[in-house]
Amino acid sequence: MQRLKLAIATAIFALGATGGAVAAECGTDRKIDIAEMNWPSAAALAHIHAKILEEGYGCEVELVAGDSVPTSASMLSKGRPAIAPELWIGTVQDQWKKGLEEGAVKDAGLAISDGAVEGWWIPTYVAEQNPDLKRVEDLPAHAELFKDPDEPDQGRFYSCPPGWGCEIANAALFEAYELEDSFNLFSPGSGGNLDASIVRAFEREEPIVFYYWGPTAIMGKYDMVQLEMPEHDPEVWACNVDAACEAKGKSAFPTPPVTVGTAAWLSEEAPVVFDYLSNVALNNVQISKMLNWGAENKAGAEETAENFLKTEEDVWTQWVPADVAEKVKAAL
Amino acid sequence: MFEGEFPEFIDTRPLRYWLDDGLNWVVREWSYGFESAAYPLRVMLNTIEDVLLATPWWLIILALSWLAYGATRTPLLPILVAVGLFFAGLMELWEDSMKTMALMISATVTAILFSIPLGIVMARSQIVLRVVTPILDLMQTMPSFVYLIPVVMIFGPGNVPALIATIVYAAPPLVRLTNLGIRHVDSGVLEASQAFGASPRQRLLGVQIPLALPTILAGINQTTMMALSMVVIASMIGAGGLGYQVQQGIGRLEVSRGVFAGLGIVVLAIIFDRITQAYGKQLQEQIGLAGGRS
Repeated sequence: MQRLKLAIATAIFALGATGGAVAAECGTDRKIDIAEMNWPSAAALAHIHAKILEEGYGCEVELVAGDSVPTSASMLSKGRPAIAPELWIGTVQDQWKKGLEEGAVKDAGLAISDGAVEGWWIPTYVAEQNPDLKRVEDLPAHAELFKDPDEPDQGRFYSCPPGWGCEIANAALFEAYELEDSFNLFSPGSGGNLDASIVRAFEREEPIVFYYWGPTAIMGKYDMVQLEMPEHDPEVWACNVDAACEAKGKSAFPTPPVTVGTAAWLSEEAPVVFDYLSNVALNNVQISKMLNWGAENKAGAEETAENFLKTEEDVWTQWVPADVAEKVKAAL
Repeated sequence: MFEGEFPEFIDTRPLRYWLDDGLNWVVREWSYGFESAAYPLRVMLNTIEDVLLATPWWLIILALSWLAYGATRTPLLPILVAVGLFFAGLMELWEDSMKTMALMISATVTAILFSIPLGIVMARSQIVLRVVTPILDLMQTMPSFVYLIPVVMIFGPGNVPALIATIVYAAPPLVRLTNLGIRHVDSGVLEASQAFGASPRQRLLGVQIPLALPTILAGINQTTMMALSMVVIASMIGAGGLGYQVQQGIGRLEVSRGVFAGLGIVVLAIIFDRITQAYGKQLQEQIGLAGGRS
């Protein structure tokens, strides 16, 4: 009996010791949950960080499904998930800023080093055939081109699905440019529908005017031209993204800061992880390359991430100390 | 190879390329044809929607209440219908309710046009039954998200793909129940009609279909309900109405918006469910009387 107890105690001690060792390297034995957002670049980044944190730093990692608004809301109120690897601050501006001030969340660093693009686009072949269509102001004169099949005397502008921050911004611009008389603000209902509508138009070489953003696989695959808007004006924009504000104005989209968002507890309990995350920015070209590989090889997020780790060692080994890089490489 | 994961025997990528490129090819070459084929659907949906939106609200409440009275001959259901619709109006959901109703009515009407003849053919031919049944199973079990995007790419975003997706999902029960209703007509009655010298056509139109009507009406009831259950999914590909409100509620974390629109869908469901059921019951009683059986 005594020996059994001893054996159990030793076993527990041994377990505790190894557990402690894991925690020491990662910094925390709390499970680190990473939001796998429902668009490809963020999903791939989630898998990349998960792999490096798990294999390189020995953290306990879990991927959870996410989307800008619900994920940031949950991070702000509950501190879960711990990491949002590609957070478009612009879509959740007010709440996130407040959370930063109150210390509920922290931005570890940029996720896209040279910033992202956001705007209203037309296909290049439309721009070439209509040289006088350059600015958003020119749209009403060309409404005929972008005919809404459900209401043929109006044009159709493809906006954002409900819940995306850009939905409010697009509606504001629509109002500021007085497009109501010549265009319908079409809500695609889901990101998949927006993508499908765009791909359909490009495949059939039809005119389409739509909201889109990059870096994305679609932006990399099809040639498109951005419609001009006056330079970004933060004051006008603040009103445009506030549903309650009435004096909507004309202003280009801001170059949206895209950061790695973390719950505040991460930097306190696992500074190593936080430091790692402050170092992981990729640029537009690198992300487009990664996404294109994924699209061309029909790879999911996990496979895309693995391929990135295998083929872009020069990039990611810069993010981590040499011994961590070795461990990750060994696990690939 | 007998341990762990299933081994990779073939590379599925060529198949996936073939499917995806094939879809793009269909979109490039055939979508114009598909679009014109779906034109009648577009006209029907837009007309029903326009009519419902142009009709004064009190007239619609009155008409549906009257329909409910016709079905039950009691004041209870009409009052329920009126209160439900009034609630939808109060919650600022009138326009959305009408749009959803238009989608549901169009889907049901189209489903009736296709399903009842198909159900009749199925009841008369064992071969058709064997071919159609697995297709119906597929239509009912294939997750609708799978065909939403191809439907959009082929028919273009907007109301029409939403209507088509709704029909695909909602039509099968009507086909099944039409088939079932006709097959279950009492063989004694059939023999009697034969003995009186009825031709096959007379038997179908005069005996089988009338006696199967309660079952067919149950099918229509099922189809209406399933069409309503599709409205939220249909809103993901551009259908407006209550489903879109629910979608917005989810997207913007406005629980209230989702709850109100959800209740609006419930109201529509209750109204159409009770009315079609009541008519079914009425019909069954009439047939019971006419046939002289209990």
